Amino acid sequence: MNLISPLAIDDTLPAELRELLNSPEGPAFEQALDVMVRQREQHLFRALGQLARDLHDAVRRLGGDLAQEGVPGIADARQHLQDALEMSAQAAHRSLDFAERMRPEAESLAHNAGEVLEWTNGNDAAAVLAREAVQFADNCREGIADMVLAQSWQDLTGQRIKKVASFIGTVESSLLELVRLTGALAGSETPAAVKVSSQEDADRLLSEFGF
Amino acid sequence: MKILVVDDFSTMRRIVRNLLVELGFSNPLIQEADDGESAIAMLRTLPFDLVVTDWNMPNMTGIDLLRAIRAEEALKGLPVLMVTAENNRDQIIAAAQAGVNGYIVKPFTAITLKEKLGKIFERIAASGASA
Repeated sequence: MNLISPLAIDDTLPAELRELLNSPEGPAFEQALDVMVRQREQHLFRALGQLARDLHDAVRRLGGDLAQEGVPGIADARQHLQDALEMSAQAAHRSLDFAERMRPEAESLAHNAGEVLEWTNGNDAAAVLAREAVQFADNCREGIADMVLAQSWQDLTGQRIKKVASFIGTVESSLLELVRLTGALAGSETPAAVKVSSQEDADRLLSEFGF
Repeated sequence: MKILVVDDFSTMRRIVRNLLVELGFSNPLIQEADDGESAIAMLRTLPFDLVVTDWNMPNMTGIDLLRAIRAEEALKGLPVLMVTAENNRDQIIAAAQAGVNGYIVKPFTAITLKEKLGKIFERIAASGASA
């Protein structure tokens, strides 16, 4: 069975630690250890303090920018969606214009061809053409009705676009709220008009840690 | 027959109007509203025989419009046909419970519209004959 070897006191250890480990007195050992730990803590607090200050400055800057301009890119994204919605509506309306213009023409062709059929004996070239015209007009009316119905893609896609736009709005307001809350915690002047004194409070608090 | 078409999308209102005309309803007698709120205001002031409404609209949705119609003495007997992309079971049940007369899921065909309208008027005629 191997005994756990005691910590080797060799040259690789810092001088103060070597001295400490060699010290015969218990209280002196404790005291020296405390000093070392405190020194380390000081470094940690200093780093944390710097981090807090950086975060606080960043949030203050971000909060100020966002309050003035909104979350970058989101206004554009919303505008793009709105444009897509309007363009698709325009395109669908153009198709509907066309359908509404063509339907009466098809109806009138069917009507006129019907009249021609009444005046012919039913076997001459005019009658053949008239029957073809009636068939063509009927096909047109059917096709136009289908085309009208097919334009409902605009409504179906438009509803989804509206949902995405509203989702983006929710994300933006949540983000602004988050920044506002973070700003408030950091004591900065954010859109929610945190009191000026809290800025001083924050500075005082940070300075208590020596920053 | 005076028909009110309710939808927040102008394209959809126009499509429904076109289909109704195709089915033989008179174009000048068809009117439009862009949400439930403006629809109920029109229904209170003008006589209508049928409402064709979407579900998902700002201010007042189709289901709220339906409930408002059923809650008003002067309007409660008005036939309401819902034409909507909302196709989940709970919503269809909610519409049925609120007293909808017909329910069409978008996208739909002219034949479906004709069938549902036919059924609505058949039932109205039957209930009118038995009353």
